[in-house]
Amino acid sequence: MKRIGQFILGVKEYLILTVLLIFSLAFLFSNDNTQIRFLRAVAVGMFGTVQSGLSSIPNVFDLQQENKLLRETNIRLSNEVSNLKEAKLENIRLTRLLNFKEFSGMGLVSANIVNKSIIQTRNTITLNAGEIDSVFVNMPVITDAGLVGRVVSTSRNFSIAQILFNKDMRITVKSQRSRIDGILTYDGVSTLSVINIQKSADIIPGDVFITSEYSNLYPSGIPIGTVVETGNLDNLFMKIIVVPLVDFASLENVFVVKYIQNKERYALEKTFQAGKK
Amino acid sequence: MNFKYGILKNVLLLVLLLLIQKTFINILSLSSLNISPDFVMIMLVYIGVKEGKISGSIYGFLAGLTADFLSGTFIGLSAITYTIASFLAGFFKSENEKFLAGYFFLISVFASSFAGNFIYFWIYFQGAPISLPEVIIKYVLTSSAYTTLISLVYIVFPRKKKIERSFLGET
Repeated sequence: MKRIGQFILGVKEYLILTVLLIFSLAFLFSNDNTQIRFLRAVAVGMFGTVQSGLSSIPNVFDLQQENKLLRETNIRLSNEVSNLKEAKLENIRLTRLLNFKEFSGMGLVSANIVNKSIIQTRNTITLNAGEIDSVFVNMPVITDAGLVGRVVSTSRNFSIAQILFNKDMRITVKSQRSRIDGILTYDGVSTLSVINIQKSADIIPGDVFITSEYSNLYPSGIPIGTVVETGNLDNLFMKIIVVPLVDFASLENVFVVKYIQNKERYALEKTFQAGKK
Repeated sequence: MNFKYGILKNVLLLVLLLLIQKTFINILSLSSLNISPDFVMIMLVYIGVKEGKISGSIYGFLAGLTADFLSGTFIGLSAITYTIASFLAGFFKSENEKFLAGYFFLISVFASSFAGNFIYFWIYFQGAPISLPEVIIKYVLTSSAYTTLISLVYIVFPRKKKIERSFLGET
């Protein structure tokens, strides 16, 4: 304390000068003329320069606070980016479906997949469209890429559809190029194949199979899959491996085609089959 | 009693010189060079050299503020100028009052006056299209030199001779 007193006594002249100068400057800057405006500008410039120089010296506490703030912002922005990406992908998907809906000319009901199984023997998807949306059993389910399956069960608001990867699914198909008919089946493990095609038939890898007009469940011409491998199944028939055009792994939105099988045709064919037996 | 008399004497002299400075300065101004002597500055240097930095700066501040209020323009400019000049004059204070005697006084007047005029004209010409060297040569040096020249009056002042004799060791 004594030292402080001695120090103040030692610099009292400068302290008094400082006080007097502060008063003088206060009076000086109370003026509003060109010189003072200029001095103010110089003072602000100098202060800015000094502040700018000092700002490069890192302040640990400020940095911690800043880092915390940046981390929070980073997380928030990451979430936003993720949501935007999701929205963009959804937008692309829906736009594609919308275009398809406009060009297909069929009565369609759009639906989202709310549940899906693709690794079992009898795989199905659950749709958030049901009888209230005019979805009924046996209606085909498609996307812009091609056939997905058909509705096998409905409730008021939901429906279940068999997909191509279902052992119970058998679809009459036709080669789009050579117009040869066959039956698409699933082996219950991983492979879709077209059976009942003779060895001499004109089927080559790359050919696309579509739904046939012989089918009473599906409208004709819906693309199903592409031939990736051909070979001999036995002495009479070919072995044809098909990869579906629809990517079931990423499938999220589908359309249910308002296509009801022709009951008269169905009844006739059934009666004839029974008569043969 | 002597201390109070000293203050009163200094205040009266400063007021008188301020009035002279504001009233009759045109008579001694060199209009061709735009310079005029500063009587108040000479008195303040005298006070600073004689009584030290604290007295000098306080008298300087009060005299400057009074001058500013008398002129009514640029309040604070003379206050800051006189405060610094008279504070610097306090550096010339010595035991034997050497810088109050003869031509030494002229040195202290010129040095303090130069510093004061430098601040005054530097602020005064802010924003004007005139360079700092030009301000120093045309205004600071000439005004300081003219004030120093006028301060010769103190040398021929009878009281000064007494101080000078004291400094030279005469009886």
